[in-house]
Amino acid sequence: MAETNTNTIVAEPRELSGKGGARTTRRAGRVPAVIYGNKQDPVLISVDPRALHRELCKPAFFTRMFDLKVKGETHRVLAREMQLDPVTDTPIHVDFLRVSAETQIHVAVPVRFENEELSPGLKRGGVLNIVRHEIEVICAAGKIPSVLVIDLTGLEIGDSAHINMVDLPEGVQPAIADRDFTIASVAAPTVVREEAAEEQAALAAAELEEEEAEAVEGEVEGEEAEAPAEAEEAPEETTKS
Amino acid sequence: MLSPKRTKYRKQHKGRIHGMARSATSLHFGSYGLKAASPGRVTARQIEAARQALTRHMKRAGRVWIRIFPDVPVSAKPAEVRMGSGKGSPEYWACRVKPGRIMFEIDGVPPDLARRALELAASKLSVDTRFITRVGLED
Repeated sequence: MAETNTNTIVAEPRELSGKGGARTTRRAGRVPAVIYGNKQDPVLISVDPRALHRELCKPAFFTRMFDLKVKGETHRVLAREMQLDPVTDTPIHVDFLRVSAETQIHVAVPVRFENEELSPGLKRGGVLNIVRHEIEVICAAGKIPSVLVIDLTGLEIGDSAHINMVDLPEGVQPAIADRDFTIASVAAPTVVREEAAEEQAALAAAELEEEEAEAVEGEVEGEEAEAPAEAEEAPEETTKS
Repeated sequence: MLSPKRTKYRKQHKGRIHGMARSATSLHFGSYGLKAASPGRVTARQIEAARQALTRHMKRAGRVWIRIFPDVPVSAKPAEVRMGSGKGSPEYWACRVKPGRIMFEIDGVPPDLARRALELAASKLSVDTRFITRVGLED
């Protein structure tokens, strides 16, 4: 679990606000953004899309602190939200939250699963069913873990990984504190489920056969003449079912 | 094949597909997905073919989510029938897809297998597509 690193992004101030101003900025080939928080006035800025893309390609964009340099002034910020183009997935706007290292914040930290090969359930063909790809934690802005590691060692089919299995760093606590919520579970593969269903169907068929055989025996005792015809029909029905 | 259980009316107007998708534009369930890059109608038959291609390439490992549903009845007239005399009978079900829509999501498989499986699925569809992954997954 790596501690937060600080990176630098150079930004320029922009004057026009609103969607018209944002569109003008985009037409100029830059990405509009805003810095807010820490009880100070918001600052409208624009960033270079290539610099932003470089930072996006690095892991943990939303859990890293950035030094935003705007005309000689440096803002210590955290990326809070990013709007993406629905088709191209390129950033069209970014929100930066002004923070100090001690500020307590809610932040969603991505989850990484390790030791899949040491899980007997996954080895037998089980499927890792991820319930939460990110976990919301409360911590100081300077101590945000870049990733939370979930160890899957020893998990069988039907077992789950819960939040109490995660070794959270000191000063980091989950935002959901009232229950031990599930992060992932190991589900049975489709093949195993089909086999189980087949076994159950076979058992049910055998039981039905036994019951019918008993019924036929009872009828034989009562009506000797009609018994052979019914006894012949019974197995055919069970094979169909 | 996917189709609605019951509908209020049997036939619908053809309609047009304008604009870009406003919902279902990001991954919600899986780690990899297939996003539409052009507008179009995707039929129930195409969705089923894509699903089969996905599950067969993934060898029934992992999980698949289908995030589109064919709820538009498409009618057609029989062959060698003159124009007029009313609208044809419903022939198949389709889904109107706008660019940006996530159509399939998968999880539980390695990235290269996911990419190939979704490529195979994309070849069954009548819209342009793009392979997408969750941000920060390949670190």
